[in-house]
Amino acid sequence: MPAAIETVMKPRAAPAGGGLRHRKRTAGLWGETMIWLCGGALALNLLLVICLVGLLAVNGLSCFWQKPLILFEFKDGSWALGEIHETEFVKNADGRSADGRSADGRSADGRNGADGALRIKVRFANVDTGQQDFGWIDENTIERRTEPVDAAYIERFEWSPFIGFPKEIRRDGAAATLDGGDIYKTVDRILGEKLQLRGVIQTFEKEQIGSIDEELNRLRLRKKALVGKSGADAEGQTEILRIDKTVESMNREHDVLEKKLLELKKGLESDVLVLETAAGAKREVPIGGIARFVRPNDLGFGGRSILYIRRVGEFLFDNPRNLNTEGGIFPAIFGTVMMVLLMSFAVVPFGVLAALYLREYAKQGFIVRLVRIAVNNLAGVPSIVFGMFGLGFFVYMVGGSIDQLFFAESLPSPTFGTGGILWASLTLALLTVPVVIVASEEGLAAVPRIVREGSLALGATKFETTWRVVIPAAAPGILTGLILAMARAAGEVAPLMIVGMVKLATTMPLDGSPPFLHPERKFMHLGFHIYDMAFQNKNVDATKPLIFATSFLLIAIVTAMNLTAISLRNHLRRKYAGASV
Amino acid sequence: MGISSNKDRSRRAETSARRRLSDRFAKYFVTIGGLAIIACVLGIFVFILGEVMPLFAEATVAPGRFLSFSSPPRAVLTDEYQTWCLALEDRGIVKCYDLAAGREAPEFKIDGLEGQVYARAAAKHGGFHVVLADGRECVAAVKFNIDFKGSVRVVTPIVQKPAIFEFGAKGPSDASDARIGPEGARGLAAVSGDKLIYLNRSVTKNEMTGEVEDDISKTEAAAPANIRRLAVDLEGQNVYGATRDGELARWRIQNNKLEPADRVKVGGAPVSALGFLLGDQSLLVGQEDGGVSVWFLVGRNTDSKILTRIRDFKKHPLAVTRFEASTREKSFFSLDAGGGLRLAHSTSERILWEGRSPVADPSGILYTPKADGLFVYNTETLAVLDIHNPHPETSVKALFGKVWYENNIEPEYSWQSSSSSNDVEPKLSLVPIVYGTLKGTFYSLLLAIPAAVLAAMYTSQFLSWGLRRFVKPIVEIMASLPSVVIGFLAGLWLAPRVASGFVAIISMILMVPVSIVAAGFIGRILPKTFRARFPQGTEIPCFMIAIAAGAWLAMLSSGPVESALFGGNFQAWLLRTTGAEYNQNNAIVVGMAMGFAVIPIIFAVAEDAFSNVPKTLISASLALGAHRWQTVTRVVLPTASPGIFSGIMIGFGRAVGETMIVVMATGVTAIMDWSPFNGFRTLSANIANEIPEAPHGGTLYRILFLSGLLLFGFTFIINTAAELVRQRLRSKYSTL
Repeated sequence: MPAAIETVMKPRAAPAGGGLRHRKRTAGLWGETMIWLCGGALALNLLLVICLVGLLAVNGLSCFWQKPLILFEFKDGSWALGEIHETEFVKNADGRSADGRSADGRSADGRNGADGALRIKVRFANVDTGQQDFGWIDENTIERRTEPVDAAYIERFEWSPFIGFPKEIRRDGAAATLDGGDIYKTVDRILGEKLQLRGVIQTFEKEQIGSIDEELNRLRLRKKALVGKSGADAEGQTEILRIDKTVESMNREHDVLEKKLLELKKGLESDVLVLETAAGAKREVPIGGIARFVRPNDLGFGGRSILYIRRVGEFLFDNPRNLNTEGGIFPAIFGTVMMVLLMSFAVVPFGVLAALYLREYAKQGFIVRLVRIAVNNLAGVPSIVFGMFGLGFFVYMVGGSIDQLFFAESLPSPTFGTGGILWASLTLALLTVPVVIVASEEGLAAVPRIVREGSLALGATKFETTWRVVIPAAAPGILTGLILAMARAAGEVAPLMIVGMVKLATTMPLDGSPPFLHPERKFMHLGFHIYDMAFQNKNVDATKPLIFATSFLLIAIVTAMNLTAISLRNHLRRKYAGASV
Repeated sequence: MGISSNKDRSRRAETSARRRLSDRFAKYFVTIGGLAIIACVLGIFVFILGEVMPLFAEATVAPGRFLSFSSPPRAVLTDEYQTWCLALEDRGIVKCYDLAAGREAPEFKIDGLEGQVYARAAAKHGGFHVVLADGRECVAAVKFNIDFKGSVRVVTPIVQKPAIFEFGAKGPSDASDARIGPEGARGLAAVSGDKLIYLNRSVTKNEMTGEVEDDISKTEAAAPANIRRLAVDLEGQNVYGATRDGELARWRIQNNKLEPADRVKVGGAPVSALGFLLGDQSLLVGQEDGGVSVWFLVGRNTDSKILTRIRDFKKHPLAVTRFEASTREKSFFSLDAGGGLRLAHSTSERILWEGRSPVADPSGILYTPKADGLFVYNTETLAVLDIHNPHPETSVKALFGKVWYENNIEPEYSWQSSSSSNDVEPKLSLVPIVYGTLKGTFYSLLLAIPAAVLAAMYTSQFLSWGLRRFVKPIVEIMASLPSVVIGFLAGLWLAPRVASGFVAIISMILMVPVSIVAAGFIGRILPKTFRARFPQGTEIPCFMIAIAAGAWLAMLSSGPVESALFGGNFQAWLLRTTGAEYNQNNAIVVGMAMGFAVIPIIFAVAEDAFSNVPKTLISASLALGAHRWQTVTRVVLPTASPGIFSGIMIGFGRAVGETMIVVMATGVTAIMDWSPFNGFRTLSANIANEIPEAPHGGTLYRILFLSGLLLFGFTFIINTAAELVRQRLRSKYSTL
């Protein structure tokens, strides 16, 4: 043996002539360098993840923090009021207009001079005055900046925010008296009243008018069905007449309610706040349309913190406002949770049943191995393919048939023959069933044979062993699969784009009107909401903070679920690490 | 005792039977249920295949009803619901046959045709064209009014006052063709001897007086001898003629003036039939030897267009006598002298149906306006063929080959599923989309493979146990990040930053490795006693700091580098030197984002493969004096390479199917171009973009299912192959 090694070593060592040590060292240095690069690759990956999460966290969490309002005085004597969003260095100051605002700074970049300038991205808001929402200001055109205490930031229900200086309050066209001469106190008081009124109007619309609308719609469909079924049938005719009469009286009732609603809504318009913009123009803003009235520069740290918490609360529990650019994302959170729950009801029994068959009942052989590989690989099939299948099979085929059988009276407008939460959940169940099968199988396989044999030896049948011994022992594995499946479903968007997503759901898939659960309704989804806000919205600058916040929420949910699944799985593996045979 | 034991046994037997029953029931339930679920999941493939199959099905053409004419017709027309058959007879009589009932309705008389003898008569969609024996030509527009009385449809035919064209000839023209628009006759071209005469009709209505002015202007040009067939397009831009010598002539009409003819040889037998495809741009040429070819004008600008032979179809056994084009897409019927009928589609080059005329010696054919039927008639009978031809425009060649579309100068791969005008056909080549898919995958793997494989190698071979416990979950979290979030960041955050700092990105590629090596070197020369104070695994945070420092340096230096190398502006430099435009949402951005999504997938599998390399092999190598790196490259890497390969394959599969990142981070331009500064369109993004608007069951819908099937099959095969490789590897080394 030693001789053999020598013959191998000799020719290699010979040419360098005692340079073996040297060679080894250079090889070592080269190798070390490569190892460092490998380590660098790992560090890069980790850094990327940390950066991504950090970027989302910083941007998503900071967007609720109220920024100060800055009054800019330009060298040419003009004024502007806004909040600073971004500062960047531009390599040369090209000929931007004197007021320093240009719609798209990037396209105006000449980038061939050596001297540079700072420029600032400012939100001027006030789009209804013809102002651009966001704009760039060149630092060197600014003469002075101040933070005026009386500048107000007003969030509105139907428009993007308004920034200006409150001057007076008018009631029905005449100047109103102020409470103790303090305009802000008065605004706060009136705002409180109006928000209350808004609440009253909302419940009125939803409960009184909404229920009548629903009933009318039901009667309309009933009538259509009767007309379609029996034109000459005497009983049908009287029924139709009866329906007509009811509809008529209900329509009258509806009109009365509508009038009442209009009167109520007039109340929202009665008080207006007159504001002066930085340019000196006066605008009237109805107090009834204000969602929040803030004077940022007057707020201390405590006040801002309270505002922050309120905004986070609004984000989580309120409806979107103003074409999804403001307000909350509650319907999206609710829709996601509903869909994931519905999906879980479908995916757990199916996944576990298939895993049980594959692991416990099927004869282990070539075919089962193939099936297992196939199921495994379904998890790698692009999600869009499942979406397509969902559209073709669930929506068009199954949904279309259900419509023809049970909802023929409302055709051609489809009930189940269009995207909805049920179809979305079932599509995602198909998408995630391989995950559950694989994890459940792993869980079942981890149950030691001794345990099964013990149970069988005590006289239990196979079914009893499986049901009472194996499945409870494999439960963490099954749960792991379920959590992984839920996390995937919560983050998946592509298939949902096809089978039942909407920008803005006016109704929830679960509400107070019978039958409470509406599986045919469209719904909102966090992931799709991100896509929609980012790419279907004209004013991306205004929605960006909300997209960041939503993205952060989504990855927080998905990550929390995954971490739970990982720790469960590790726990399971440790538990059976020694025992599995 | 005996009794009691008997009782005992029977009780035991009773319970055991129930349990056995439930056990057996459970067995069947699980087996059937499990198999059913697996079958359902695998049934997705079958369902998608089922949606795709009709694309390649042939057209069905079945004989429908028959109608006997009471007197021989010269030409027939019908409405889009096939309610009426209007038959033009001699002496200006138009008979109306109710096709459903087979009855005759009151007939029309065309003014000015009473007692006239016809030389020829023809029907075009929109009206009848009659050539009288005295040389005059007469075009009578026919309209169908559609009304609804309650839910009953009432179709009323209206034969309008004819337009009479006179061009001074004594006898009938040799050949002629009329332009009939929805408002009536627009013009007429005729050949008489060696002259081509074109008459343009303009009808202007005086808004004030309501007077209608019917004006016919005339223009002439020389024509080659022996012209047999003539065709003028609806827009009145070109007149085409075919001679007995097998030549095609084309006259351009400009400002109502005929330009001299261009002449092209067809070759072979004399031309016996001429016709247009939908849109009146493609010319159908039928010859006496049964040849059928499609021609259209090809040229870079309107003045230099030349009539070019585009494609040939299988020959008819006998001379082609007539063409009839669909009004829905580019398919057409051709009829030969022996009554042989054929339905073909021009763009897809498919023969959709072949058969024989149901009536003997057909004198004419008519494609119904909805393209759902063909009227074949002789002097006595009319037969209606019912046509079901849902997807004529798809063939393997149209989907995957180069197709020469009208208005293009050469055959090309092109995807343009919807168009503004009805006459422009959808272009459905999947090649640019498959190309885009591969391009996106290529750029993402360019980043992902080195980053993932090197990191996996480090994790499994060099990383301390303590850190490994953190790294793996982090990578799993990375894998689970929703792609919509990555796509949003790529599209709205990364893309503008890459656009403005592209040079910084390039210098990062150089600076980051350098700074990593520098950091490693500094660590090495530090005294051992100092190094020993830190726990194992400290190198990773150090590397992170080094990377951040390198990136920061790269950003700092990018300004001077950009002005030194690229004249201060990389995008302008790129355009100037290579002519490539910098598109903000380009392949680099998608590559980075998709690479990020793929890294954890490759990492997981590769790490598994590295870890599965038996420790004995590594120990043996080290014991023989090999360095750590030598061991890794010469022992670990070759052993684990099939596993790494399968990891790359799985990553490839993921990148191929990724949807949201592509949809959000790149435009969806379907162009074929390897440039990293351009966007692309992938199969998955194409589905996501187009399927919501694709009508259920339509051609686009099924083609999108076909691309889904491609994705499905592709990823399934790749994943299966990768899985088999992995399993083999595992069983091979499990014994070591």
